[in-house]
Amino acid sequence: MTFLAQSPTLQDFGHDVWWLVLLKVVGVFAMLLLLTLFTINYERKVVARMAQRPGPNQVGPNGWLQSLTDGLKLPFKEEIIPLTADKVVYFLAPVISAVCAFTAFSVIPFGPMVSIFGERTPLQLTDTSVAVLLVLACGGMAIYGIVLAGWASGSTYPLLGGLRSSAQMISYEVAMGLSFVAVFMTAGTMSTSEIVRAQANGNPVNLLGLEFTAPGWYAVLLLPSFIIYAISAVGETNRAPFDLPEAESELVGGFHTEYSSFKFAMFFLAEYINMITVSAVCTTLFLGGWRAPWPISAINDGMFNQGWWPMLWFFAKVLVLLFGFIWLRATLPRLRYDQFMRFGWKVLIPVNLVWILALAGIKTLQNKATDDGTRYTIIGALILAVLLITLLWPSRTPAPAPNLEEQLARRPKGSYPVPPLDLQVPPSPRTRRDVAERQPAMAGGGAATDETGPANSDEKEV
Amino acid sequence: MSLSAWVPIVGLLVLGALFSLFSVAIAPIVGPKRYNRAKLEAYECGIEPTPQPIGGGRFPIKFYLTAMLFIIFDIEVIFLYPWAVSFNALGLFGFVEMLLFIGTVFIAYAYVWRRGGLDWD
Amino acid sequence: MTTAQTVLAAGGAVSTGEAVTFWILAPLALLGAIGMVWARNAVHSALWLVLTMLCLGVFYVLQAGPFIGMVQIIVYTGAIMMLFLFVLMLVGRDSSDSLIETLRGQRVAAVALGLGFAALIGTGLFRALEGTSAVGLDAANANGNVQGIAKLLFTKYVFAFEVTSALLITAAVGAMVLAHVERRKGERLSQVEQMKARFAPGNYPGPKPGPGVFATSSSVATPGRLPDGTLTDGVHSQILPTRELTSSEAAPKGTEK
Repeated sequence: MTFLAQSPTLQDFGHDVWWLVLLKVVGVFAMLLLLTLFTINYERKVVARMAQRPGPNQVGPNGWLQSLTDGLKLPFKEEIIPLTADKVVYFLAPVISAVCAFTAFSVIPFGPMVSIFGERTPLQLTDTSVAVLLVLACGGMAIYGIVLAGWASGSTYPLLGGLRSSAQMISYEVAMGLSFVAVFMTAGTMSTSEIVRAQANGNPVNLLGLEFTAPGWYAVLLLPSFIIYAISAVGETNRAPFDLPEAESELVGGFHTEYSSFKFAMFFLAEYINMITVSAVCTTLFLGGWRAPWPISAINDGMFNQGWWPMLWFFAKVLVLLFGFIWLRATLPRLRYDQFMRFGWKVLIPVNLVWILALAGIKTLQNKATDDGTRYTIIGALILAVLLITLLWPSRTPAPAPNLEEQLARRPKGSYPVPPLDLQVPPSPRTRRDVAERQPAMAGGGAATDETGPANSDEKEV
Repeated sequence: MSLSAWVPIVGLLVLGALFSLFSVAIAPIVGPKRYNRAKLEAYECGIEPTPQPIGGGRFPIKFYLTAMLFIIFDIEVIFLYPWAVSFNALGLFGFVEMLLFIGTVFIAYAYVWRRGGLDWD
Repeated sequence: MTTAQTVLAAGGAVSTGEAVTFWILAPLALLGAIGMVWARNAVHSALWLVLTMLCLGVFYVLQAGPFIGMVQIIVYTGAIMMLFLFVLMLVGRDSSDSLIETLRGQRVAAVALGLGFAALIGTGLFRALEGTSAVGLDAANANGNVQGIAKLLFTKYVFAFEVTSALLITAAVGAMVLAHVERRKGERLSQVEQMKARFAPGNYPGPKPGPGVFATSSSVATPGRLPDGTLTDGVHSQILPTRELTSSEAAPKGTEK
């Protein structure tokens, strides 16, 4: 079916018959549930392997049904609602979380135009001209679920967890929103399917007389944006090493401490769906979406970019990104809260703004409409600005740090004993004698200085 | 683009809402109930719980500042989006005006940074 | 054609889907507004307002302004209502409306002023829009909704756009003045400084040894010793009374063989 091989445009959406819409909605919904069940197992198995354990391997083939049985068990557990809880809000919070998580996935493209039961339709639930904003809006609304869960529980730990989480999510939402700007600027659109199409072809680059085709993926083209997105996505989904809202050692379970039974399962589900969503958005915006990676895409005139094949590449990319999430969790310790907020506000946001302006400047310079005069003016102004900043940057000469001997000399009497700071353990008297016997030539001056060294610990009162 | 492209979004939203409402509502009916007064108290690692969360469930004022900063940057980002989408059409003029805009907001940012509004303790 | 005429002309062309959505969401929006006023708990009140804001966002989308609809949800419900929620949580969860009027005639004055303000805005809008001919949604969205907004915002209304940044500065300064607790350097130790102080010479960094760890006797009453041998207080809890064992307690229990 090669005639179907075209990527959809915005005009292709909104023409599906009602049963096709229903089919797609139910399909995406079921896929999200299945993918969640899979991801939980995937995470447990990968983390287990990284910790030299087998992981879940009892339920079902190779343990792959573990998450399903865990999920089925949850509704049959007793539900405990604390007396101090605000009942209505307590009930509403997990629902808000789950609904936002589901809705955000509705604009993710899985593939090109395909034929389903004779109907020609894009392999995507829907797309609008502001599709990426819809994902952001759902992310913004999802914060309500967490804040309200923490507040409505009427307990200290959830309140602290919800409080931390909301501040964390709004901080990283700014960084995430800013990282989209470069993509919109390059693609010239906010619709997910058109962003995928904009990444289809590499653009020819002439670098020092060397002609080559740069890859169309925005992860390569807009590397700073990609890195910032990846970091803020981890912060936005409350995953390790940014999982401060549920820092077990400090806050027990964070905002869901007081939740049990299926209400807890809803939060769990929402967290995993959010993880899948940010991976899918990352795939769409930065990794070329459903298109096959380069060597495969060239096979047989793009055969693998047609029909249902792209689903494979899409899910492969998502799984690789999910693996990244799990890898981070298995590797990195949790950050301290002030470090984490400082990183978001003082590093990610200014770097992102500077990068956007730099990209805009480069694009303006490259624009054919700009004449040479303006071009040189801009470059000159830029150099002047950089020079001024470097000249006027307040320089600070830090006071010289005292070295070890000075620090040691400052210690008052009766301080806690420390091992020798030069890390040379004094040889035992017997060893010294052996050395002296074996090497009589060295025994003179060297040994005399050694004997004045430490080893006075024996004289301490016991 | 017609409004019908939005219908599937509403469809997924409604389906998700039905699913979560149903399962959250059904769980207390299906699950067992073993009453115990101690279970209904707020969880505080086993010690006698404080009658109310710290400060009667209040947030520190620090969070107000964070939320305010978030609004400022959110509005900036929202202005950046249409500018980015039609960047090629706006050209040099668009670049210069966005430079001015970001520069001005950066003054606010630098002020807050300098006063220590971005520090946590 | 004036605005009113265009609206009336378009009135017949409203699609069923649009009408159905409107008649479902408009009561919800109203319910949210009424609930906001009626709710006793401040947080519930804010949540009702969130409902109204969400409905408004959908209305914008319905009227062919998807960008402004999404912005309504992201900025108003996502950011500004979150600020409201934070502020409400600042005052604590149990604070609710006081039912006693502290100012006499407050309600009447509020109603009168509200109506007057609405009338003022209404007439202002009417006078400003009178005689303006509407071009219709198709023409306005010809090159795409977002592009249309960008074209107007960054050319015709560029001054208003730049002034917005001044408004944002005002907001930042206002927030700092109101909410920032100024701390001079050294007034409160940061985590790094606390750690440095903890390991500074003269301070004992570790937990105090349990009674008897470095002591010569295992009695609770024996004062503990630091690793360098000096005696120290505070190795055992203040609650435990220092006491002598009675002879029966000190006697062999007969359990050791």
